[in-house]
This record gives sequence, C-alpha cells and structure tokens, in this order.
Amino acid sequence: MTLLRLISWPYFRRHVLRTLLTVAGIVLGVAVFVGMHTANHTVLDGFSRTVDRIAGKTEIQVTAGETGFDEEILDKVQSASTVRVAVPVIEAVVDTNAIDHGGQGNLLILGIDMTGDRSLRDYDLESGEDAVIDDPLVFLAQPDSLMLSKEFADKNHITVGSRLPLGTAEGEKPFTVRGVMKSSALTSAFGGNLAVMDIYAAQKMFGRGRTFDRIDLAVRPGRTIAECERELQTMLGPGFQVEPPSGRGQQFEAMLAAYSMMVNISSAFALFIGMFIIYNSFAIAVTQRRSEIGILRALGATRRQIRWLFLGESAVTGLIGSIGGVVFGVVIARGIAASIGTLISDVYGQTQSTTEALATDPRLLGVALVIGILTSLVAAAIPARNAARVDPVQALQKGKYQVLSAGESRLRAMLAAVLGAIALVCLVAPPLTSASRQAGGARALFYLGFSLVIVVALLLSPLLSLGLAKALRPLLTRLRPVEGVLAADSLIQAPRRTSASVAALMLSLTLVVAFAGMARASYDSIINWMQTALNPDLFVMPSQSIVVRTIRFPPSVGPDIAAIPGVERVQTVRDARIVFRKTPIMLVAIEVASMAQTAQRVPVAGNADQMYRRAGAGEGLIVSDNLALLQHLSLGEMLEIPAPNGLVRLPIVGIIVDFSDQQGTIFVDRRQFLKYWGDDSVNVVRVYLKPGVQMPDVRQRILERFAGQRQVFVLTNAELKAYILRVTDQWFGLTSIQIAVAVLVAILGIVNTLTVSITDRRRELGVLQAVGGLQGQIRRTIWLEALSIAVIGLTLGFVLGAINLYYILQIVQYDIGGMRLDYEFPYPTMLALVPVMLAAAFVAAIWPAESAVRGSLVEALEYE
Amino acid sequence: MSTATAIELDRVTKQFEGKRNVMALDSVSLAIPRGEMVAIIGPSGSGKSTLLNLIGGLDRPSAGHVRVDGEELSNLSDDGLTKVRRDKIGFIFQFFNLLPTLSCLENVGLPLHLRGWTRKKVDERARELLDLVQLGARMQHLPDELSGGERQRVAIARALSIYPPILLADEPTGNLDTHTGAEILTLIRDLHARLKSTVVIVTHDMNVAQSCERTIALRDGAIVEDVRRRAASPGEDVRRKHTGVGAPE
Repeated sequence: MTLLRLISWPYFRRHVLRTLLTVAGIVLGVAVFVGMHTANHTVLDGFSRTVDRIAGKTEIQVTAGETGFDEEILDKVQSASTVRVAVPVIEAVVDTNAIDHGGQGNLLILGIDMTGDRSLRDYDLESGEDAVIDDPLVFLAQPDSLMLSKEFADKNHITVGSRLPLGTAEGEKPFTVRGVMKSSALTSAFGGNLAVMDIYAAQKMFGRGRTFDRIDLAVRPGRTIAECERELQTMLGPGFQVEPPSGRGQQFEAMLAAYSMMVNISSAFALFIGMFIIYNSFAIAVTQRRSEIGILRALGATRRQIRWLFLGESAVTGLIGSIGGVVFGVVIARGIAASIGTLISDVYGQTQSTTEALATDPRLLGVALVIGILTSLVAAAIPARNAARVDPVQALQKGKYQVLSAGESRLRAMLAAVLGAIALVCLVAPPLTSASRQAGGARALFYLGFSLVIVVALLLSPLLSLGLAKALRPLLTRLRPVEGVLAADSLIQAPRRTSASVAALMLSLTLVVAFAGMARASYDSIINWMQTALNPDLFVMPSQSIVVRTIRFPPSVGPDIAAIPGVERVQTVRDARIVFRKTPIMLVAIEVASMAQTAQRVPVAGNADQMYRRAGAGEGLIVSDNLALLQHLSLGEMLEIPAPNGLVRLPIVGIIVDFSDQQGTIFVDRRQFLKYWGDDSVNVVRVYLKPGVQMPDVRQRILERFAGQRQVFVLTNAELKAYILRVTDQWFGLTSIQIAVAVLVAILGIVNTLTVSITDRRRELGVLQAVGGLQGQIRRTIWLEALSIAVIGLTLGFVLGAINLYYILQIVQYDIGGMRLDYEFPYPTMLALVPVMLAAAFVAAIWPAESAVRGSLVEALEYE
Repeated sequence: MSTATAIELDRVTKQFEGKRNVMALDSVSLAIPRGEMVAIIGPSGSGKSTLLNLIGGLDRPSAGHVRVDGEELSNLSDDGLTKVRRDKIGFIFQFFNLLPTLSCLENVGLPLHLRGWTRKKVDERARELLDLVQLGARMQHLPDELSGGERQRVAIARALSIYPPILLADEPTGNLDTHTGAEILTLIRDLHARLKSTVVIVTHDMNVAQSCERTIALRDGAIVEDVRRRAASPGEDVRRKHTGVGAPE
C-alpha cells in the first residue's frame, strides 16, 4: 500500500489523461457487460413476471405451441381426476394506436371465461359495476366489454364507460370499458398494460375460430402437481406441453439463445477491448517508468515487489473502473432493454413491455466487479512481468531496451512454429464432416486451434514487422532520402516497439474484418434467400407486423383473395412456433404443391423435384439448413413431431437454406398441418399477380374487398424485403458499433506507440537536432514512421483478418445461428479503412512530432 | 576472506555480448578492507562503473567471484542479490536518481518502506538522516525545489537510510560545481569517519581521489595501479598516468 501511495499515486496524478483512459477501458468493458446482461435479464424477467402475474394461482398450463387447440380439449382436462379447476385462456397483444399513453403502443388482452377464472385470478374492481364480474352474463351479453387495469386506465385517463378502439382481426373495433381493476399482481403484468375480455369475444376478435391458446388449471387438493402433469400428459399425448407457468419463461429463454450468444460475444469483445487498452497503458507506463524501476531495484526492491506494485495499480484501476462500469452499465441497461424489446418484437414477434423495472441482479454486479478486476490484472500481467524483469543497470543507464535480440527472435520463431503446428493439427485433423465437427471434443480442438492461430500471429508480429519495415525501407528512402531512412531505421532498430502498435492495429483490424465480413456474408445470404424464397408480388397479413401471430385470418381469406381480379395465384401460410426437441422452432404450413410451381429454391441436400413431390404428397418434411445444423439432422432422417392430434412421423425429404427463424424451421404441407394440428387459420396470404396487372390496383382491390370486415395489411414484395433488411440491420446494429470501437482502439494503439517511441528516442531526436536536423525533418521522420506503422499494421491485419474470418464463419455456422454463410472478404469496408487508418496514423503522429521538436533541446540531450 | 575484508573480487571478468563482444573487466582481483575509503579512477570505458555495479550486486560477473561483507554474490539468486543491496549497500549516483514526485523525507524513507518498516519508524529515521546531512529544514520539499548539492545530500541520506556497511558512489560530484562538489566530498568523508562504513567512489575528479585512503586505477578492464596513502598524499602522478585529465585547478 505504501508503495502504491508513494510510487503509483504520483504517477497517476501526473498522467491524468492516460489514467482516465485506462479506467475508461475497464468502465467500457464492464458497462457493456452489465448493461447487456442486465437488459437481457430485464427482458427475460419481464416476460417471466408477466407470465407469473397472469398465471395467478395457476399451477399448470396446457399449451400446444402457438397453434392453440380445439375447445374440446378443455372438457378432457376438466374431467381429469387430479384437476380442481381448469379454465381456457386466449392472449393477444393489440395495438392501441388511437390513444396517447406515453409511448406504450401495445395492450395485452386476456380472453378469459369469467365463470371459472376467478378461482385462479382476482378481478377486484376499482370502479364500475360489481355486477360486471359478479354476473358473468353481463360480460357475455355485451361482447364489446373490456376491463382495464387501473395502471393503464390512469395513465391514459380512461374511465368506466369510455370507448377504446382496438385493432382486431375484424379491423379496428370500439370497445366499452365496463370496469377498472384494482392494482394487483395481475394488473401490473406487461407493465400494467392489461385488459380482460370474454374468451368467446376474444376468439371472434382475434380470429381464433373455436380454439383456445391455453388452459390454466389448479390441482385438486391432496394431489401433487407432478401427478397432475403425468395424468394430463398421458391423456393429451405428446403434442401438448403440460408444465408449470415457469416453463414458458424457459421456452422464451431458449428462443433467445442466439441473441444471448450475441450478448455474450459483445460483452466479451468489450472486455477484450478494455483489456487491450489497459495492456497498452501499462506497457507504456513500464517503458516510461523504467528509470524509476531501476532506482527502486537499486534501492533494494525485489522483482516481486515491482511486479506487485504494477499488479496493485492494475487492481486498483480495475476496481475503480469496475465500479464506474457497474454504475454506467445500469444506467445504459434501460436503453439497451428498450432496444432488445424492439428487436425481440421485430424478430420473434414477442411483444415486450418496456416499462418493467430493471432486473439488477446483485450477483451479476458482483461478477462484473470481479471480471473487471481480473481483466485488469490479466491485462497488466505481461507489463508487470516486464517491469519486474527490468535490468537495474540498463534502466539506470538506458540501454537498447527495444532491440529484439537474435536469441529472442529465434525463440519466438520456434515457439510460433510449434504452436502453429499444433494449431494446424487441431484445425485440420478433426474430419470436416458436419457430424464430427459438432462433437464436443472436435469443437474444443477447433477453438484451441483458432486461439493458437491468433497467438502465433502475435508471437510473429515483431518478426513480421521487422521484415515489412525492411521491405518498406527502399520505398521510404525514395520518398524522402533523409527522413525516410531515419523513419525506416527507427522501425527496424526497435521491432519490439513497432510491433506493439502493429499488434494493436492487427488485432483491431482482424476484429473489423470478422464483423464486417460476417455482416456482409449474412446480408448477401439473406438477400439471396429473399430473392429465391420471397417471390410473391404481394403479402396479405392480419397484423402490421409479419412476426406477430396473435391475430389470424380464417381460411376463407385465401379463396376470397384468389377471386379478386388480377390475382393469378394465392398461397396460404400458417406459421407457428412449436417445441421440437425442447427447443422452440418455427413450423411453417404451406401449400407445397403450389409452392413447387413458384419457388426456385435449390436444396442444399436432396433433389428439388422429389423434395416438393414427396412433401406435397404428405410423405415428408422439408427442414431449414440451420435447423439441420443446430439439431444435427440429415437428409432421410425420420422426424417425430408431437402435435395435438397425434405424433407426426415423417422423413426429411429436403434441406433448404432459410432464414425465417434463428432456431430453425420445419416446412409441412398445409393438409398435414390441418390433420395433425387442427388449425385452419392463416397468418400470411402470398399473392401472385397476373402478368401486366398493376400492383397498386390489386392492392387497392384487396383492401376494398375486406374493408369493414377485417383488418388487412398488404405489403408489396419490396416492402417486405425492406422490412427484413431493416430487422437484419437492427440485428447487426451492434456490429457497426463494434467496428467503430475496433477502429478507435487501432488509432489509440498508434498514438500510444508513437508516444512511447518519442519518449524512448528523446535523446536521439535531440542529437539529430543538435547536429543540424531541421524541425521539419524531425516532424516528417515521425510522420513517415507513423504511416509506415499503419501500412505494416494494415497488411498484417488484413492477412490475419482474412484467416480469422474463415473460422468466425465456421463458428457462426456450427455454434451460433446454424447459418451457412459464404466466405466473402469485406473489400469495401477494408478499402475504406485504408485511408482512414493512414489519416488516423498521421493525426496520431502530430502531437508526438510537435512534442519532439518543441521540447527543450538541452533537456532532451540530458534525458539519458 | 578475512573478516576484516569488506569487498573481495577474485579474478572477476565481465564481458558484454553483442555484435562485438566487449571485455569490460578482465580477471580483476581486489580486496577492500572494512572501513576503507577507496577511489576508483580511470578513463571512460575502463570498467569503473562495471566494477561498481558488480560490487553493488546490480550485475553479475561473466567469470570469477565477488564477495561482499562475507557473502558470495555469484551464487545468489536475484532476490538474494536484492537482499544484499537492501541490507548492506547504499548507492549514491551522479544524477542523484531521486524520484521527482516524492518529498525529501519520502525519498530518504523509500528504502525503508521497501524493507517493510512502519511509517512512524521510517519517518523518524528519515528525519534523523536529513538532519545529519543538514537538510532538516527541507524535509517536505520536492527534488525540483532543491539545488544540485542539496539533491545529492538527499541522495546520500537515502543511501545511508539503513546505515549500510558499504557505500558505493558513482561520480558523486560529477554533476556539481567545484564548490558544491567539495562540500559533498567533505560530507562523505565526515560520514565515513563517523559511521566507519566502507566507501567506494568511482570518480574522474582527482580532488576526490586524493581525499581517499586508497586509489585504484583501471585501464581497459584491468587494474593498472593500486596506491594506498596514509594521509592525503599527492595523486598527481596517478591522475596523469591513467586519466589523461589535465592538472587540477
């Protein structure tokens, strides 16, 4: 502690900016970690809380994915010996755009059967006629009845008797508020934006036909939940999920697995950047404080004391940065939660309330503090070791510290060769088949090999920098005979110093290539998929959002649209999330025979003709490529999908590239879907127009055909594609931030290295001036040195980035989204980066160059 | 090694490896008794500082043995060498090497902090030493606020912080004007007389050499002359022969 006070504190005070930058590194890393995870927890908790609050006293819920089930199932469940009470539920999120309510555009409608539901949920009224709930017939007799939560009513100044327009399957309908419920756990669900209506009215309003979404039930006294689950599961079959309300939260969590992975990657990236900033700052500190270290060593400080001095500094920095990061992270978590909410709503169709309190988990904050300190310690470990190794004689006399000895070069080259060979074995030895690649051991080897590639690159960076600097020398000499030679020689004589900056640039650019390459490959793949899969002229939907499936069309909508003049062909689609092998995936019911006529999709496994023929004949299923990769499925494999009306047992007859869902998609013929799921509703009607017909005309005719009857949204092909690209942009929104941060770090790396370089060469530059070097020559020398560092860093960064991108795409394919992305080097981004990095290097060199020429010559000459 | 010998070098060689190997010391043997004040002189590159670094445990010989206060340094680990420096040796440098951010009191107390002394004890000793070098009134000043001579006094006080048996000084007057240099030399001699430490001074300054009991001259890494004098004997001949420096003013 005394040494920290005597030695470290004055240094920090003298280098406030650098200290703040170091602390900022950790603040950044920890804040992103805390912010992302807190936001993620908030969203997940919000969902679970909503489920819990709506569940009330419900002990078990019966569902069949999103497809719902026939009303008759309720009778079966109610007849079970272990069930005390069972009530049906319909849930729908509707838009209440007619009113102003502080930015919350959605209202969760709970369709319930008032006669039995009060056994599970409380509906005490704040205002209104108690008869409304005391006598359910009042509700039944008036299907436009609505009970609102006190929270929603207060927020929007709504009183009993008010008329509230809601978007329903039958278009916008006015509802009458018959009661306002007292505040309770139930009314606080979905951020308080909750309303209750009669279940049969809800069936009609939201196009459910004669189905329910869910049955909530309580177990008979004396019987256990497990007994009841067993009885119901046996009675209903595997097509139903019988589980406590918390099970829905877990499913939601599983659905967000890919997103959570992105969160983890972003957090890790932020921490890595933080680590890098700390490493850089401490590496500079060790260089600048070499003489101080020498004095301490001469006065009797042991190597251990020196190492602990620097580690102590990093621990304190880490602690302060972590505390700042935790605070900042909690502050930004609200914004991130809102953005995740939007993303989840757009990508998964799960509308989230954004008014829930932040889920700040003390354990997470504790972990963040520990991670921040550990990151700081790890980052400072190498500089601290280097500090402990400082030779007191050299430190006091200023030897040629930055020179790379022949022995060290050999050692580095040998170590790189050995690790490179191990990396090669790890990456090449496991067979390249998808099955073996997915085996745990092979994945571990893959990641080991991948990490070793980066380590080898770092080990070789001084040698490669030296080689490239030598290669640049003739060019620099030709450019500026005096300054060019001086700049090149400075780089050649101190490869260790040069390589610090080059490594910073190289790693940053590697990350940029990875992120940009991934985004580009994803974009290209998605565009390619859209061109082949999404070729109808119009898409007709019951909801404004393509992913919201709580409002649906009846089957008659298909023929109705087909009858409209100008329409050549319609295809009705029903997509619903179901649970397959404990993972929520997307089931898409399509008219395969018709699809075969219009789609030009080439399967990645299987024959196109056979695929469409067999799937259309109900003899097989088509699965998406990402599902096959994530669930390890192959062509011909027999799939078993539990459905409400029995087990679907069909082989995979084709595997196609499809980006409809991140967890994967199964395509089934509509007739099979009707047979097994008994759901004849429609989400989307794909419309093909006759040649020569004007698209706006047909669009108008469709809108007119259903005006006043039902809510219809018509998107053109271009609009739908634009929507998907917008969601993709949102998804990759983080990428641009990461690219910007990586570029900033690269710039920071150059500034730091040049600062060290100037500190290190103060005397040499002083001598140059003393023997007649003009200030302009010194300036140009430093500028050329900076530009050369940028050129070397760019060269190595592009090469390592190109290799790294290949492996990143493998990770995306096998471990993250199951997306098979084509390798494409992001040339546009990289070409744009060349002038940016050169300019950054030049700007970074201005201050060090000025400091070199403007400082006292006498002091510079005495520096050593 | 006799218990009366403070420093003993036995056929010590130091070679610096590089593109061209440099022989800094070539089989040097030397014994310095306890309490002796010795000057090491010689032209630049003769090996003076290397010799001092080896005695101070800052560097290791390529061959031969260095014994300090009975301890064989060649066999010691880095921590062992550090312990020798910490317990037995005080360093005085030409450029003072004070930490600019620490006050005089803190600079003097620094070696004691490294030994884990309590703050109270450190402060007491540091005050005592600053009084000894007549800087009691400057305890809270930073090095930048002191003259060259005062800085060297602080450095001497720091070197004496544990009253080490051996004091090594590398050109202690080299960065000072003649008058201040003479004052510092008087201080060192005074301290030597009072504390009975063994003092080894590397110097170009013949006045400094003349004030020592013994003068060892080095050239090209070897001892070429070793002169003991009872009192302040003339050293002119040694100076002319080995340093090439002009006559003293």
